Amino acid sequence: MARRDVIAMILAGGQGSRLGALTKHLAKPAVPFGGRYRIIDFTLSNCSNSGIGTVGVLTQYQPLVLNTYIGNGQPWDLDRNDGGAFILPPYQKSSRSDWYKGTANAIHQNAEFIDSYEPKNLLVLSGDHIYKMDYAKMLRAHMDKNADATIAVIEVPWEETSRFGIMEADADGRIVEFAEKPAKAKSNLASMGIYIFSWDVLKAALVADEADEKSTNDFGKDVIPRLLSEGANLQSYRFSGYWKDVGTVESLWQANMDILDCPDDLNLYDRSWRIYSRNPVKPAHYIAKGATLQNSCLTDGCIVEGDVDHSVLFHSVVVEAGAIVKDSVLMPGVVIEAGAYVKKAIIGSNAVISRGARIGYSSVGSSPYLSRICSDDITVVERGVRIREGAEVPGNCMVEYRDDIVGDNVIERRTQVR
Amino acid sequence: MFIDAMGLILAENRKLSLGELTQKRALAALPFAGRYRLIDFMLSNLVNSGISSVGVVTFNKYRSLMDHLGSGKAWDLSRKDKGLFILPPNVLSDSLSSGGDIGDMTAVLDLLRTSHWTHVILSGANNVFTTTFDDFYKKHVEAGADISILFNQDGPETARTTTVLKTDKGNWVKEILIGPESRAGAKYSLGVIVLRRQLLIELLSDSIARGENEFSMDQIMRRHTHLRILAYPFEGVCLKIHSVESYFSATMKVLDKSVRKSLFWSDLPVYTKVKDEAPSHYCCGCDVSNSMISDGCRVYGHVEDSMIFRAVTIGAKTSVKSCIIMQDSYISEGCELENVILDKNCFLRPGVKLVGQAAYPVVIGKGAVV
Repeated sequence: MARRDVIAMILAGGQGSRLGALTKHLAKPAVPFGGRYRIIDFTLSNCSNSGIGTVGVLTQYQPLVLNTYIGNGQPWDLDRNDGGAFILPPYQKSSRSDWYKGTANAIHQNAEFIDSYEPKNLLVLSGDHIYKMDYAKMLRAHMDKNADATIAVIEVPWEETSRFGIMEADADGRIVEFAEKPAKAKSNLASMGIYIFSWDVLKAALVADEADEKSTNDFGKDVIPRLLSEGANLQSYRFSGYWKDVGTVESLWQANMDILDCPDDLNLYDRSWRIYSRNPVKPAHYIAKGATLQNSCLTDGCIVEGDVDHSVLFHSVVVEAGAIVKDSVLMPGVVIEAGAYVKKAIIGSNAVISRGARIGYSSVGSSPYLSRICSDDITVVERGVRIREGAEVPGNCMVEYRDDIVGDNVIERRTQVR
Repeated sequence: MFIDAMGLILAENRKLSLGELTQKRALAALPFAGRYRLIDFMLSNLVNSGISSVGVVTFNKYRSLMDHLGSGKAWDLSRKDKGLFILPPNVLSDSLSSGGDIGDMTAVLDLLRTSHWTHVILSGANNVFTTTFDDFYKKHVEAGADISILFNQDGPETARTTTVLKTDKGNWVKEILIGPESRAGAKYSLGVIVLRRQLLIELLSDSIARGENEFSMDQIMRRHTHLRILAYPFEGVCLKIHSVESYFSATMKVLDKSVRKSLFWSDLPVYTKVKDEAPSHYCCGCDVSNSMISDGCRVYGHVEDSMIFRAVTIGAKTSVKSCIIMQDSYISEGCELENVILDKNCFLRPGVKLVGQAAYPVVIGKGAVV
């Protein structure tokens, strides 16, 4: 068989610790997003829609949910005779066994898998970004420019440059300098964590990187600077459009709210570039008499009897009569009981907000659950917990089951969530 | 759960016509309850009963049905040597010209002969209910019946095609009547029977040999007087669809809490083809009441007592009341609809007014531009 042009590897092993309770039981890419998706659906759908039929998903942290979710890749059309979707956890080798130590190390440990497909190029992706992108166009640019590596970049506001890996490119787009989270940036082109490497070049660089004891085995910190210093042909590929790293509670909440504005460059209704997901088997949602809905997203199996304003509801959410939900994200199976009030919150799967409870009712207040991870008055509730009747939780709280809180007057109990 | 039976669904019922709604599609392919087609319910019932081989008997309008069923994957019926078998008529068969149920059945005989299951659950697709056939099957075997028929007593019914079972106290069928003057308390067949596969082969071959073109229980009973036929009561909610009017009223019943619960929230999933639509978006200024709405819709206007299928747009200042709006339809601004069935892919220009009566809803055919 001829060598294939490209296969993709998605880095999905990160813990996502800045999402607190939301990633206690599952990896960040498996976090529900946008009403009917999980974060990784965007990357997987982009691969499928770009015509990439071989996709490895590198998992490490809490992989159970992610593994079952991806399965054989069928929802994304990635159940192929030749290739398809593969879950690639770290494994024991005859000489040693290792966890994935860094992004580059994770790829290095799977070199054998990649080699078995003899790809000319390797597309390295992150499993925790929300965007729509045609990787085929990027690959064409990569091949046209005969590049050793091509890095997708996006313009970011100058004041945010210190949060990103910043590329400086010449007039032809060739990268001349790279700075990881610079204090003072020379450019505002940020790396999106999307790389296409010529596999032969990358393989050699990974071997050298592994030999370097000082290396942290990271693409941004080690491999890219190494290639740059060796004079490799590194090209930038400009992307414009919606792109969001949903690594924090604030950005996850914001990205969900963005969906409600139906941004043109993240059009979920576009049938030529659908975002696929594993669909729940639920009936159409039901809106009762007396319910009000404003600027909100709903999906299958929801039952709304109360008031929902500017919120994203996942499948099988129930909002009872007299309950008020505002600016919130309710993950699958959440129940908001009669008279409860939920504002600016992310409620984890199958959590129950009991009668009369108030979540995010105020920006000031004291609670053992106040958390530094939560900002902008956003409140997070862990999946599967039942909030007591009439309990009050102010903004900026991360309500999660904890052993160290005795006589809890917020959480009544927790249930196992599949 | 482990039933030694296969399923057979008759996708067409040539005695029933729903006008434009079934002009281009088999009855079984009629869209229902927002995201389903009628056949989804019977397929799910069979699958939820643990049945893994299902033949779908079609006659002529099977394109939309085949498109819907595909490999059977959505019902877990994409299997190696079992799974879904779509059975269009054998075109070379001489009996095709006669055009009765048996015309379809000749193609089925092959499948029946090569299967190894002891029993067959044979059913139409025009009755909507959610159940498993575990108890029905068990009772059939225990009672030593030759044929068992599912029935309920919801009625009286007016349809000419109604089949009424006359039984003794032990629910053994003594007589079968087609479309008699209806009365309360009658036992109406739900068109689901279970029998031994070998017996079905014999009955079918016998009918074909006699040049008959209908598989009618009353005739079979008259001829084979030795057959012991048992009636088995179905207690749950069953929506019967035999006309445009009953289709419309059945849909409106689905909005009722107890019916919704019985059909969809009984722990038995109702499977259907996956469409990957985005979530539905309720825009500012919309106003929705007592309605079921599927994924991929955009709602700007007023919706009341209605069933909205997938990917429908309802424009601003538009009012949709007691309507069935099927997939991919677009209703522009300022329209007014009441008691309307809008088939798939229709386009309504701004300001269109359509008003029907509950007993006579306005039906707009597939793909119409109004």
